[in-house]
Amino acid sequence: MLIIDCPYCGPRDQSEFSNGGEAHVKRPDGSADIGDREWGEYVFIRANPKGIFYERWVHSHGCRKWFNCVRDTSTDEILKIYKIDEERPKLDSFKNNVKTPSGEPNLGSGNFTVKK
Amino acid sequence: MSELNLTDNKFIQFHQKIGFKFDGVKYYGYKGDTIASALLRNNIKLIGRSFKYHRPRGFYTCGIEEPNALVQIISEYSEPNTRATIKKIYEGMEIESQNRWPTLETDIGSINNIFSPVFPAGFYYKTFMGPHKNFWKKIYEPIIRKAAGLGKPPKEFKAVSTHLHHNVDITIVGGGLNGLIAAKSLIDTKFSVLLIDFDDQLGGILNNSNKVQSVNNQTPMDWISETVKEIENSKNIKLLRNTLVTTYNYINHLIAVEDKFVGSRPLKGKVNSTLHKIRTDQVILSNGHIERFLSFQNNDLPGIMLCSSFEKYMCRYGVIPSKETVIFSNNSNSESLVFSLIKKGFKPKAYIDSRSGENIEPDLFDLIRKNDIPLYTNSQIKGAFGSKKLQKILVEDSSGGVNEIKTDFLCLSGGINPDVHLFTQSKGLLDWDEKDLTYKPAQAFQPTITLGSASGQFDFNAITNEINEKLDVFGIKPVEINLKLNTSHKFKIEKLWEVLPQKQTIWSKSFIDLQNDVTTKDIRQAISEGFDRIEHLKRYTTNSMGTDQGKISSINALGIVSDLLDKKVSEVGTTIYRPPYAPLSFAAIAGRNSYEYYDPERKSPIHNWHISNGAVFEDVGQWKRPWYFPINKNETMDEAVQRESKNVRENAGVLDGSTLGKIEIKGKDALAFMNLIYTNSFSKMKPGSSRYALMLGEDGMVKDDGIICKISDEHFIATTTTGGAATVLGCMEEYAQTEWPNLNVYMNSITEQYATFNISGPKTRNIIEKVFPEVNFSNEAFPFMTFQFHEYEDTPIRILRASFTGEMGYEIYVPSNQALKIWEKIINFGKEFGLKPYGTESMHLLRAEKGYIIVGQDTDGSITPLDLGLDWMIGKSKKDFLGKRSLIRSDTIRKDRKQLVGILPINKNDRLEEGQHIILDKEIKTPMPMLGHITSCYQSPTLGYNFALAVIKNGQSLIGTKAFASTPELKTIEVEIVEPIFYDKENTKLAS
Repeated sequence: MLIIDCPYCGPRDQSEFSNGGEAHVKRPDGSADIGDREWGEYVFIRANPKGIFYERWVHSHGCRKWFNCVRDTSTDEILKIYKIDEERPKLDSFKNNVKTPSGEPNLGSGNFTVKK
Repeated sequence: MSELNLTDNKFIQFHQKIGFKFDGVKYYGYKGDTIASALLRNNIKLIGRSFKYHRPRGFYTCGIEEPNALVQIISEYSEPNTRATIKKIYEGMEIESQNRWPTLETDIGSINNIFSPVFPAGFYYKTFMGPHKNFWKKIYEPIIRKAAGLGKPPKEFKAVSTHLHHNVDITIVGGGLNGLIAAKSLIDTKFSVLLIDFDDQLGGILNNSNKVQSVNNQTPMDWISETVKEIENSKNIKLLRNTLVTTYNYINHLIAVEDKFVGSRPLKGKVNSTLHKIRTDQVILSNGHIERFLSFQNNDLPGIMLCSSFEKYMCRYGVIPSKETVIFSNNSNSESLVFSLIKKGFKPKAYIDSRSGENIEPDLFDLIRKNDIPLYTNSQIKGAFGSKKLQKILVEDSSGGVNEIKTDFLCLSGGINPDVHLFTQSKGLLDWDEKDLTYKPAQAFQPTITLGSASGQFDFNAITNEINEKLDVFGIKPVEINLKLNTSHKFKIEKLWEVLPQKQTIWSKSFIDLQNDVTTKDIRQAISEGFDRIEHLKRYTTNSMGTDQGKISSINALGIVSDLLDKKVSEVGTTIYRPPYAPLSFAAIAGRNSYEYYDPERKSPIHNWHISNGAVFEDVGQWKRPWYFPINKNETMDEAVQRESKNVRENAGVLDGSTLGKIEIKGKDALAFMNLIYTNSFSKMKPGSSRYALMLGEDGMVKDDGIICKISDEHFIATTTTGGAATVLGCMEEYAQTEWPNLNVYMNSITEQYATFNISGPKTRNIIEKVFPEVNFSNEAFPFMTFQFHEYEDTPIRILRASFTGEMGYEIYVPSNQALKIWEKIINFGKEFGLKPYGTESMHLLRAEKGYIIVGQDTDGSITPLDLGLDWMIGKSKKDFLGKRSLIRSDTIRKDRKQLVGILPINKNDRLEEGQHIILDKEIKTPMPMLGHITSCYQSPTLGYNFALAVIKNGQSLIGTKAFASTPELKTIEVEIVEPIFYDKENTKLAS
């Protein structure tokens, strides 16, 4: 369970929020000039990276406001939260502050021993 | 009675006798006893039968790590798999042993033990394959499920639990020696602290053993009571007793469950357990360690117990399981048991240590010598023997000779493990300690501090340093702890995982997992079959699964595997520790979200009228809606629906449509916004008019429909489907905020603020003119699809002329708190015209006759407006709206898409059913190409026969052709594909 710092209400439990998927996906206008590929990618294709990810959240059981968030999907660390009309923070302004917990063990399916 | 002098035991209230029943026999214990300590007091050592082989089992431990002693608490809703070693007794408690039939002493299932050579690891996977695939489901599985297993699931579930949230700076898990020192040092600091202990007595090892003689020159008991008092009186520390931390999640989120009725019968209707949800900046894990066992032949016999557990029964519960026990150990943890026994005037029958004499602690050596205890160094137990209880053991001494010792009890110690379960749940990393032979916390992933034996720090003299070093981050005063010990302060161990039996037969068993009946032979076999990765091995053999998760044995399994594979234990690795630490009940997790509070029930403002008029309700989303109104007990749903529908067509009916979603949209750019959200164009609409509208997803599929009322270019009211209201509002919010933030528009739900009543039928006008005499309802003054605001006895009312039945109709919108008044008026004035209320089932029938769709019934998220024949609703001149571009995707313009059509049976007596497939051939053969399926089907009281709506491939071009509907009996019904409209095709009624 994350704690999410709603830019309008302050830090709240994750259960008050809904995730809205990848952020900064520009919607092409719906006119016929848009090609099948461009429109199809907007409707169906979203990034799903391991690592730093720009995503949208909505405080659905709170102020109902949408906002953007930068989260490291491998550690669940929230690196930045900013309002929907604020500029997208640059990728190189983030460092992986926390080492990945899974550590990608070379033994077994999961192995929480320190790797030598 | 196996009792010690109780007067010096402060945990047991020996003046308070408690009667309880075990397997129907009444026994007595004292207040403070667990089931285990009370039964041991009564010399009961057989407590249950094992999971697979039905072998007799006794108490192996004295705590939460117990693998064997699981019982069913009959007096608490028959709660199964309760650990007898922690559950406290109370007057009138009824307990039953598990997995035995007919009795614990004579268990028929124990025949499995004789057949055990045919039940190797993976037995079920290998054996029950044939002769037919149904054999597993119908024959093997039910029999196996009956024979194997633990307790029986309770028949009812009535426990009450509640949830409590905490937000604190520091959470200390475990109130033993280290936890108490940490808490004490945080008294009166700026931090808010939560101290959690699973026990009702704080102090941990100080209570459970005689290791420590004094703390800061006080007796351990005095030091504990003084420290606890200080903590309780502090303003910044909250203490939770009887609370087990089960889960350590991301972002320092802990879950703990508190038992509210320890040592007393849970009261009916009172909260039995509290689930604590804890948010904290820092976690201090001081939850101690767990002793592990050793594998040798028949190491599961009743009468075998871990050393520290035996000592805990003596120190904590004032009961001695046996006065003449043998001790077998490979480490220094057994020393304090020898000390405790001698202190109480007993002595072990023999002390067997796998270490050589010079590696045994000098103090222990002296103690044994001084008391003439038979000592076997460099020796191992080859096996234990007895029927239903331990009778003798075989000891191989340093010279290789085998000695037989007759004894009824044996204490074991195979080493100790820091309790790393919570630490690894938090994603902390472990490291194998080659000296102490155990996994220890190495790197914390979260702000986690481990203290004492939980951190793998087994040296009592290092406590002060460790605490001062690790708690330095809080900027508190250093502590000074002066411990005097009865035993050596350091921990020493020599490697020993398993002793091979004297004679290996197909029946000899050395257990590695007591709860799941896994033997070391199973481990060998699994490895020889290629399951040499620890996670595979665990699942193949079921080692360290079950309610105890192998707490006393999982590390031993790693040791044995590492020896077999000739690898280091650190290379073998551990399996993942997952929450919960120990089982917690579903009742605790559910909290108040159970029964009527599981999901909110939403009710129309006139719900009570429906009840008193005999309505039968159906659930629509969270709403309770009247399904139909039977006139008496004998009228079936079918009869009621036919009667109600016919009445609407002949006279008039009224429907409570209050559950329809209602959204109010306002703002300078409301018109532009609505044009983008819905397919229709609202630009040319006159204020005061309304329009049936569709909302699409960006994929072009129909998501919702409703009627939009335009009050002005800056003010709209939209209705949605009952189930779709929240989604539609959410979608509007999302687009308004994220895609078109430049538009000045606001929206809010007004669903619950207004009730909606739909009157329809040929006599509607007669009725509504009587209810609202000042309103002109003529076609000219109030045409179809317009609305007007009026006031009725100071009640503001909106009347909309629209219809979902195909008859002329009006919808009345009225503030919820005045709804009943208007409803009753309509019912009363309507009586003379035959007006009757009707429910949702009749509404569905009537709209289907007219070919009106229901989103979610006739559509399923893969249907476009074009598939429904609703091309006219698309504002083609609009540049953009949700999903517009998708309507010309290659997939949506495909010719063979499923399209909405009507279906009529050729033989008018045939009955169709929803879900039936439409096919082209009369004969059914596989594979059968299918055109589509029936989405709505009703018996029409007006037509006198069955009709249906269906979505079928290329349906619009198949209209007029014949087809077949398939039945589950593999028969076919001849049908005709027709236009999806069955009533008033010319649309004369709506505007009449």
